[in-house]
Amino acid sequence: MLHMTRARSPTDDALRRGALLAALLASVLLAALAPPALGAPPAGPNATTPAAAAGTAAPPGETPAATPADADSPLATTPAAPESSPDTRGLDQEIQDLKKDVVDLNKDLFILEEELLFPANTQVAVFLSVDVGSFFALDSVQLKLDRKEVINYLYTPREVEALLKGGVQRLYLGNLKVGAHELVAFFNGKGPNERAYKRGASLRFEKGVGAKYLELKIDDRQRKLQPEFEIKDWE
Amino acid sequence: MRLASMRALLLVAVLALPAGAASARQHDPEKLPITRIRDLHYGDALFYFYQNEDFAALTRLLAYEHWGRVPHHAEEAQLLEGGLYLALGMHNEAGERFERLLTDDVPTGVRNRAWFYLAQVWYARGYLERADAALRKVNGRMSPELEAQKELLFGNVLMHEGRYDEAIRLLASWRGPQIWSAYARFNLGVALVRNGRLNDADPFLSAVGTMLAANAELEALKDRANLALGFAYLQANQPARARAPLARVRLNGPYSNKALLGIGWADAALGDYQGALTPWMELRSRDVLDAAVQESYLAVPYAFGKLNANAQSAEYYESAVKSFDAENGQLDQAIARIEKGDLLERVLGTDLGARYGWFWQLKSLPDAPESRYLYAVLAGHDFQEGLKNYRDLVYLNGTLERWGDSMGAFQDMIETRERAYAERLPRADALLASGVVEKLQQRNVTLANELRTIETQRDMAALGTTAEREQWARVQRVEAALAAAPDTPEYADLRVRLALIKGVLQFRLHDAFNARLWQEHRGLKDLSLALHEAQSRWIRVERDRKSVPTNTGEFAARVTELKQRIDTLQARLGGTEQKQSVFLARLAAHQLEEQKDRLAAYEVQARFALASMYDRAASADTPKGSAGGNQAAPAEETPAPPEQAPAPPEQVPAPPEVAPVPKAAEPPR
Repeated sequence: MLHMTRARSPTDDALRRGALLAALLASVLLAALAPPALGAPPAGPNATTPAAAAGTAAPPGETPAATPADADSPLATTPAAPESSPDTRGLDQEIQDLKKDVVDLNKDLFILEEELLFPANTQVAVFLSVDVGSFFALDSVQLKLDRKEVINYLYTPREVEALLKGGVQRLYLGNLKVGAHELVAFFNGKGPNERAYKRGASLRFEKGVGAKYLELKIDDRQRKLQPEFEIKDWE
Repeated sequence: MRLASMRALLLVAVLALPAGAASARQHDPEKLPITRIRDLHYGDALFYFYQNEDFAALTRLLAYEHWGRVPHHAEEAQLLEGGLYLALGMHNEAGERFERLLTDDVPTGVRNRAWFYLAQVWYARGYLERADAALRKVNGRMSPELEAQKELLFGNVLMHEGRYDEAIRLLASWRGPQIWSAYARFNLGVALVRNGRLNDADPFLSAVGTMLAANAELEALKDRANLALGFAYLQANQPARARAPLARVRLNGPYSNKALLGIGWADAALGDYQGALTPWMELRSRDVLDAAVQESYLAVPYAFGKLNANAQSAEYYESAVKSFDAENGQLDQAIARIEKGDLLERVLGTDLGARYGWFWQLKSLPDAPESRYLYAVLAGHDFQEGLKNYRDLVYLNGTLERWGDSMGAFQDMIETRERAYAERLPRADALLASGVVEKLQQRNVTLANELRTIETQRDMAALGTTAEREQWARVQRVEAALAAAPDTPEYADLRVRLALIKGVLQFRLHDAFNARLWQEHRGLKDLSLALHEAQSRWIRVERDRKSVPTNTGEFAARVTELKQRIDTLQARLGGTEQKQSVFLARLAAHQLEEQKDRLAAYEVQARFALASMYDRAASADTPKGSAGGNQAAPAEETPAPPEQAPAPPEQVPAPPEVAPVPKAAEPPR
C-alpha cells in the first residue's frame, strides 16, 4: 500500500488536474454540439426517444479518458467527432452495397412479376388522379370492366393525401383481349356541404395489341362548384 | 417533428411538383419548375413516395424507367431516385447520382438543396470530409433559413475537423433567423473555448445561458451553454467564475447532475467544503447510473474528510463501496443479457410500427432489467446509426422472403403454361397446316370477281332471290321452247303472256338490282374485314407458336436466376445482420464495460481512501500507546484529514487538493 502514497510535485499535480478537467470539459462541449449537428434543433418537448430525451445524439467516442497528451495540452483534447471508425465505415459500406443489390433485385423481381402476369400485349392499367379536391373527398372507387366488377377500393387518409399532393394511383392492373370494351367507374365520397356523393363515369374503348392505360380523373369544376369525373384514354 | 420536416425539405429539393395541387402554389426557386404529370407511371411512383413508402416508390421508379414509361420525367425521376436512395440510407449511391445529375441544367436552388441535405446525412454518418465537400458545392446563397442552417452545419463540420479558426470566422459572421441564432452563438462560444479563448467565449455562452427560452428545446440549450461555460472556467482554475453559470442550470433538467457536481467542485476549489456538500448530497440521492452521481459517492466523503468529520467520511466511503458493488453486479447481468444475442430483437420488438430508412428513430425500449442501462447506450450516435442499418437489413430480408414465396408460384404458373401449351399445340399445328385463311381469302377474291362481272354485265337475275332466279330460268326455258314453236294463234297468246311475265320479272329485278348490288358490296367488305382480322390472328398464332417455347423458357430461366439471387442475397443479408448485431451488442457491452471500469476505479478510490483513513487513525493512535485498539472506526475527532483525494493507485493520481474526478467523464445526459 505504501507505494500508492508516493509524493508528487505540485507541477505534476497541476498538469494532471488540468488533464482531468479537460476530459470532462471535452465531454461537456461535445455533447453540446450535437443538436445543431443536423442543422435543426433537437427533438422537441414531445420526444420520447432516449436519444431525443437526452437532448443529444451523442457522437461516438464521447468519453475520452485523460491521457498524458491531454495533460500536456489540456485544451488540445481532440474533439470526438461523429467520424466513424474505419471498422464502422467498412460495415456501413458493406451494408450500403448490400442494400443496393437488394434494391436492384427487387426491381428485377417486380419487372418479372408484371411481365409474367400482365404481358404488354394484354395489359390494361387504370390510374386515378385527383386535382385539388375542394368539392369532393374521395372515400372509395368501384371499377367494372365489361360489366364485371374488377375492384372496389377503399382509400385511407394517407392515400387520399398522397393523391391530393399529386400522386397518381395505379388502381387496377389486369389483362384484356384485343377488341372493344367498356369501363365503368363509380366514385363514392363526400361532395359539397359534406353530403354523401356518388357519381359514375364510363368509357367505351378499343383495346389494341399494346398495353392500354386509362385515367380516372377527379377535377373541380369551379364554375359549377361541383366535382367532375371523367375517364381519359391514354393512347 | 424535426425528422418529418427534414424529410419534407429533402424531398422538395429533388422533386418537381406535380400538377394537381401544384397549380395553386407559387413557384419556389429552390424547387424544380412546376410540371404537369405527363407520364402516369411517374405519378404512380409519387403516389408511394408521398405515403413515405420510399422502398416501393424507388422499386417502381426503377422498373418504370426500365420499361421506358417515364420518358417525359426522365430527369426528375433520376433526381427523385437520388433522394430516395438518400432516404433509404444509401448515401453513397445518392452522392454518386447527385454528382452525375446535379449539372448546370438543374436550377441552382435545387442543386444547392440537394448538396445541403446530402451533407447533413454524411455529417450524421460521420463522413466529415464528404460533408465538407458537399457543402462547398453549394453555389451562392440559399434562402435565409437554409443558408443559416447550412452555415451552422458547416461550422459543426469544421469544429469536428478541429479547424476552430475557420469555424470561428464562419460563425462570427453568421446571420440568420432568430430561431437559429441561439445555436449559432452557442457553437461560436464552444469553438472559442476549444480554441483556448475563454474570455472571448464568455459573452456568447453567457448570452445563451441567460436568454429567455421559449420552449423546452431552448431551455436545454440554455443549460448546456451554462454547463459548458462553468466547466471551462473550472478547467481554467477560475472556480469563482464557474459558479454563476453552473448555478443557472435547472435543477430538474437533463444537465443538472453535471452542474451539481461542478458547483461542488467550484465550492471545494474555493475551500468551501461545507458549501460543496449541499450540491453533492443532492446529487448522491439521484440515480447511481449517472457518472456524476457515482462521483458524488466519493465527493461527499471527501468533503466530510476535509471537514474533519472522519466517521461520516468513512461511513459514506463504505456506503459507496456497497453501492458500487451492487451496481457492478447489475451491470454484469446486463452485459450477460446483451451478450446472449437477442438485444436487437427485443429492442426492435417494442417498435412494431417501425419503418425503414434514414429518418426512423426508436420510440421505446423493451421492458427488461437492462433497459435502465440501454437509455445511455442507445443514445450513442454509433448505436443509433447501426440500429437503423440493422433494421433496414431485417426489413429487406423480409421483403426477399416474400419474394421467395412468390417465386414458387411463378414457377408453377410457367409450368402450367407449358402444359397448356403442350395440350394446344397439336390443334394449333393442325389449324396452321390447314391453310384455311388462305383458302377463304381465295374464295373472297373469286366472289369479288363474280360481283364485278355481274355489275359490269348488269346481270340483274344473278342478284335475285332464289325464287326469282328459278322464275327467270323458267322464263328463259319457256322462251327457248316458244322460239321453236310454230306461229299459231295459241302460241302467239302464249308468247304475249310470257312477254308480260318476263317484263314484270325484269322490272322487279331491275328495281331491286342497285340495292342488292350495294348489299353485296357491303357484304364483301365485311367479309374482307373479317378475313383481315382472321389474318391478323393467324399471324399472331403463328408468332406465338414460334415464340411461346422461347418465352416460357426465358421466364423459367429468369425465375431460376432470380431465385439464386434471392438465396445469395438472403445469405449475405443474414451474415451482415449477424455482423451488425454482433457489432451493436459489442458496442452496447463496451459502453457498459466502460461504466464498469469507471465504477471499479471509483471503488478502488473509495477503498483506498478508507484504507488511508484507517492507516492514519492507527498511526495517530500509536504515539498514544493504543496500537491494536479501535482501528476499524475512525473517531469524529480524528485529526488530520487525508492529504490526498482518493484515487486508484497508478491510475488517476489526483493531486492532494483536488476533489475526486472521474476516470472518464460522461457527457451530461
